[in-house]
Amino acid sequence: MRRGQASSIFSVIALLSSCTGPQTAFDAAGVEAQRVLALFWVLLTGAVAIWLLVIGLSYYATKGDPAKHSEKTGLRLIIWGGCVFPTVVLAALLFWGLKMMPELRRPADGPTIAVAGERFWWRVAYDVDGDPGAVRNLPQGGVPSANEIWIPVNKRSEILLGSPDVIHSFWVPSLAGKMDAIPGRVNRLILEPTELGIFNGACAEFCGTAHAQMGLRVVVASEEDFARYVRAQAEPAAVDESVGLSLFLQNGCGGCHSVRGTPADGDVGPDLTHVASRRTIAAGLLPMTEENLAAFIAAPDHLKPGVEMPAFGVLPDAEIEQISEWLGSLE
Amino acid sequence: MTQATLYPSDAPNQDDEEVRRGQEERLRKVWAAPKGWRYWSAVNNTEVGIWYTAVAFGFMLFAGVLALMMRVQLAVPDNDFLSATFYNQVYTLHGTAMMFLFAVPIFEAVAIILLPQMLGARDLPFPRLSAFGFWCFVIGGVFVCGSIFFDAAPNAGWFMYPPLTTREQYTPGYGPDIWLLGLSFIEVASIAAAVELIVGTLKCRPPGMRLNLMPLYGWYVLVVAGMILFAFPPLIAGDILFELERLFDWPFFDPSRGGDPVLWQHLFWIFGHPEVYIVFLPAIALVAMIIPTFAQRPILGYSWIVLAAVGTGFISFGLWVHHMYTTGLPSISLGFFSAASEAVAIPTGVQIFVFIATLLTGRVIFSVPMLFVSGALATFVIGGLTGVMVALVPFDWQAHDTYFVVAHLHYVLIGGMLFPLSAGIYYYWPIVSGRRLSDRLGKLAFWLMFVGFNVAFMPMHYSGLAGMARRVWTYPESMGVGAANMVSSISAFVFAAGFLVIVWDVLRPRSKEPYAKRNPWNAGTLEWLSEMPGESWGVRSVPIVTTRYPIWEQPNFIDDVDKGRFYLPDATDMKRETLITSVLDGSPLQCLRVPGPSFMPMWAAIFTGAVFIFATFHWWAATIGAMVLSLVSIIVWLWRGTAQIPEVREKEVGLGLKLPLYESGPQSIGWWAMFITMLGDATAFMGLIFGYFYFFTIHVDFPPPTTVGPGVLWPTVALMLFAAAWASALLARWSNRAEHVGVARFLMAAGVVLSLCASASLLWGPYTTGLDPSAHVYPATVWVLAIWTAVHGAVGSVMFGYCLARSITKRMTPAHDIDLSNVALYWHFMAFTAFFTIATLAYFPMSV
Amino acid sequence: MQIFGKTQDNLWTLIAAPTIWAFHFLFCYFLAAYQCAPNADPFTRIGGTRLAIGVVTVVCLVLIGLIVRRSWREWRVDGGGTRNNQDTPEARERFLEFSTLLLAGLSFTAVIFETMPVLLIGDCR
Repeated sequence: MRRGQASSIFSVIALLSSCTGPQTAFDAAGVEAQRVLALFWVLLTGAVAIWLLVIGLSYYATKGDPAKHSEKTGLRLIIWGGCVFPTVVLAALLFWGLKMMPELRRPADGPTIAVAGERFWWRVAYDVDGDPGAVRNLPQGGVPSANEIWIPVNKRSEILLGSPDVIHSFWVPSLAGKMDAIPGRVNRLILEPTELGIFNGACAEFCGTAHAQMGLRVVVASEEDFARYVRAQAEPAAVDESVGLSLFLQNGCGGCHSVRGTPADGDVGPDLTHVASRRTIAAGLLPMTEENLAAFIAAPDHLKPGVEMPAFGVLPDAEIEQISEWLGSLE
Repeated sequence: MTQATLYPSDAPNQDDEEVRRGQEERLRKVWAAPKGWRYWSAVNNTEVGIWYTAVAFGFMLFAGVLALMMRVQLAVPDNDFLSATFYNQVYTLHGTAMMFLFAVPIFEAVAIILLPQMLGARDLPFPRLSAFGFWCFVIGGVFVCGSIFFDAAPNAGWFMYPPLTTREQYTPGYGPDIWLLGLSFIEVASIAAAVELIVGTLKCRPPGMRLNLMPLYGWYVLVVAGMILFAFPPLIAGDILFELERLFDWPFFDPSRGGDPVLWQHLFWIFGHPEVYIVFLPAIALVAMIIPTFAQRPILGYSWIVLAAVGTGFISFGLWVHHMYTTGLPSISLGFFSAASEAVAIPTGVQIFVFIATLLTGRVIFSVPMLFVSGALATFVIGGLTGVMVALVPFDWQAHDTYFVVAHLHYVLIGGMLFPLSAGIYYYWPIVSGRRLSDRLGKLAFWLMFVGFNVAFMPMHYSGLAGMARRVWTYPESMGVGAANMVSSISAFVFAAGFLVIVWDVLRPRSKEPYAKRNPWNAGTLEWLSEMPGESWGVRSVPIVTTRYPIWEQPNFIDDVDKGRFYLPDATDMKRETLITSVLDGSPLQCLRVPGPSFMPMWAAIFTGAVFIFATFHWWAATIGAMVLSLVSIIVWLWRGTAQIPEVREKEVGLGLKLPLYESGPQSIGWWAMFITMLGDATAFMGLIFGYFYFFTIHVDFPPPTTVGPGVLWPTVALMLFAAAWASALLARWSNRAEHVGVARFLMAAGVVLSLCASASLLWGPYTTGLDPSAHVYPATVWVLAIWTAVHGAVGSVMFGYCLARSITKRMTPAHDIDLSNVALYWHFMAFTAFFTIATLAYFPMSV
Repeated sequence: MQIFGKTQDNLWTLIAAPTIWAFHFLFCYFLAAYQCAPNADPFTRIGGTRLAIGVVTVVCLVLIGLIVRRSWREWRVDGGGTRNNQDTPEARERFLEFSTLLLAGLSFTAVIFETMPVLLIGDCR
């Protein structure tokens, strides 16, 4: 299921069963994407018409009888077809395009979410108090998460984009156009979804070897579900004293990953406190299952060439399974 | 009336076959290319142009193979034909090679072959400069392309965005250095070609060819060469900043020390967008030559084409940010660029309608070149229309960095450049080899290319909007673009097959086929004076041109040219000679002796290339050694080959006209070349100044209040010394002309010292205040401006020394002072550079 | 050869109008960049900047208008017309005047295009 107009409880149940959604500008479920799609259809129609006209005219020009056309006709053709007509059409299009920009960039009325593009995943923080200044970096704090962004439907959520390493570009085509995440700058992007559902996104600016596999998911939920989700994400992990946890800590996973409520407080890789509540692992690459977790821990570079996480294939399979099982319980 | 009646009685009788045979023998001997291994010392446009074209096509085929490898990888989802790391090298090198080693150089290559022919000139004004450019191009191109065989190719896209490319941790190895240094070197070659072509179109036209009679190709070449002059230098400035960051950790693009990665994007695209038009306009220029021939009438709307070429040349400099719509710039800024991007479509539309109107009022003959022209039109218009779409900011937010843009840019470049170029190959091949290419193969090639291209690239518009970002080495099946990609991949091979048919048609052995008849397409312009097969002298005699299509419109024209009834029908002094004329009206001004074969340009290119290559691998001692050798080779080249004092002042060039053999100052083409080169140099300098004020704009505090600047004292001393050196240059020229040779020599010697002292004091400023360039972007910016100016000062010093030596060895005299007047011109620009640098570094911070 | 009562056109007069466009373009770009670059306050109106751009636009349009007037008049003096392919200084002048006129027209349009963002966008968002 991609979109639903059902009540929020049903929608949450339905959403949980799915880990992928559309990643296409043709399936517009956000205000910006819809307006741009409408623009596209108009542009496409106009372009086809103009192309047919120009090519038809050229064909006629090569076949027609030159005696029928004086140089005056030819010059008129240049003036009207080559100057006046394009000028008028282009001015109209420019007017339309320019007018759309400030409307699409209207101030937000929803939550502010900080998103950092990092090689090769997305760091997410809810409940930040943002100040989108170009010379300042992303606001600190907030509720951390990764690679899956929840936003409320029919609200203008403000995504603040930054990067600690190289330039990335945040793109969820079904909702809106893209916006770059540039080191040293903070860019803002407004997402105003009109439909519930899951939407796939990707990094659109080449950022290194694993660029092609730097995906993300946007989950559009009702306002209440969104609030409930952020509250749940703010909680520490439901930790029990399992073998998986101690193996996780013993093998140094906590050096890069945080699991709030345990000594693992690394800040290099994604926060794993509620990793099992997310639909995917490895930045949208694989569905969240214990088998996939195990496979990824053993050989991340095999599944996602260029990934920064080192391989743990030297560990016995049993230990990897126990770690994955424990991670799989972190909802 | 034939020209014969104009002859004075003592002139050779051009109707005497014996006389003509003697003249032809001398001309042939003078213009012949050297034999054996010395062949590679040739500098004549017919040789260099053909080498240049062949090598550019070689790189194109190489980049085409890379494209096919990519298409195989992308044919199915989740493919692993190429690894991610290798794919990234492949796509980077594909873009780099196609743009820098094919699209731009092929313009220069074709213009070097055609322009002198179209202008009825014997050669371009600086043949050795063309040769130098060619050798730079070969060395740089092989260096950049060769890297992939060592798995060391650049791998971050042809526009190399930092910080991905500037930080060793993200791009280990030499990839970005190879890209930067290899291409900087080729950029130098492009600027050399631009100088050559501008002077060529403005000063080497045949007598009588006023501006309003110039072939349209000439107008396009003039505009495009002018664009190169203002587009490439900002990239050179960017390259300097980039390489300083990579080699010495100067933080121009590192935000943690005040830099900004977006500055690179500005500098790159200030070059990169005009570059699209630098690629497109020369190809359209070929169309503008082909269409009148096959419509059998002069172009209708000549002025409109000039409007379009010049207008596009200007407006294309206001588009650069449309590659940066998603960098988060304010809407209003994006709006300016969106407006210019829409406006530039107007002149492009004009060109297309001029062609349609010409066809409409002409009697069209269909043939292979016209087939390619039609295909170009059909394809390019699609690229233009999608260009209008992506110029609208909100639509571009979706389309940017996706396969939609990949499709758009290929429609523009293939439709706007490769198809017209293919038309040009079929049209102009007789001039190159004396034989026509096969109509049958041409049609086959066209249809394979046309169908293959469109079926390959049309679906990419869909793939892009359907979610496929560009530069992905693979994509998941769930994206739903597998079928579209499979279609693209299969058709890419059809397209490639079509191009291979052309390659086969060009290369297949054909010695048994007869030569084509002269002017096989019945065209009207001067290049078709070429005999089949062509002679290395170009035109038998340099004609008087009174119409736009002399072969059509001037009676008995070919015969008059062939019988040597115009200028320079002979090489009496056994020297290579061509005519220099005035800019507006093409009145003859000078008989220019152009230099013949020499290995010096090749050596200069090899040593200059070595500088760049050694620097790539941080072999500093070798780099400095190569730098010295390169300087020496350039000086030897200039010393032996330029500003030669002729044995007589004037020479009879035919039709009773006597022209001087030596001109200096604004009358000389060397002065023009210096002026044009320095315009480009000043543009690169402005790129660096732009960097300074860019940081001033984005930072609340710039210069940072905690940092000391270069001080005021030493920069002021430097400014005084630079002013004194400038004055010495001017006074030296003046006193030399006034025959005070001793005073002039003293001033030149003083200039050597003054300019060195000026440079030293300029560097002494930031050195004494202890500015550390790797600490923050401010000191780095100060140092780069100071070094730029100091290096120019040092070059100025060498120039003074050179003039002094020329004067002492009597190679420069009061009446023959090209060297000194060019150096004085250099010093005007030098003074401008020094003033701006010092005002920016020392005085501007005090005013804010 | 000077033609009596007329200015002589050359390549510099040809590119005067697009040079004015380039100046206008750069002025708009730099002023807006300077105003908006700190990006701290994207929703504050930038009336002063827009007004300044408006004034410069009017000046540039007037200058281009003068070029149009001059080239139009001189082109019309000897009958105008688009035939400028003869081998005479008059034809060269006519060609340059007409081309100048066309370029001035394009530059005029392009300056108006450049001003549209200022009319439609009122802040730094």
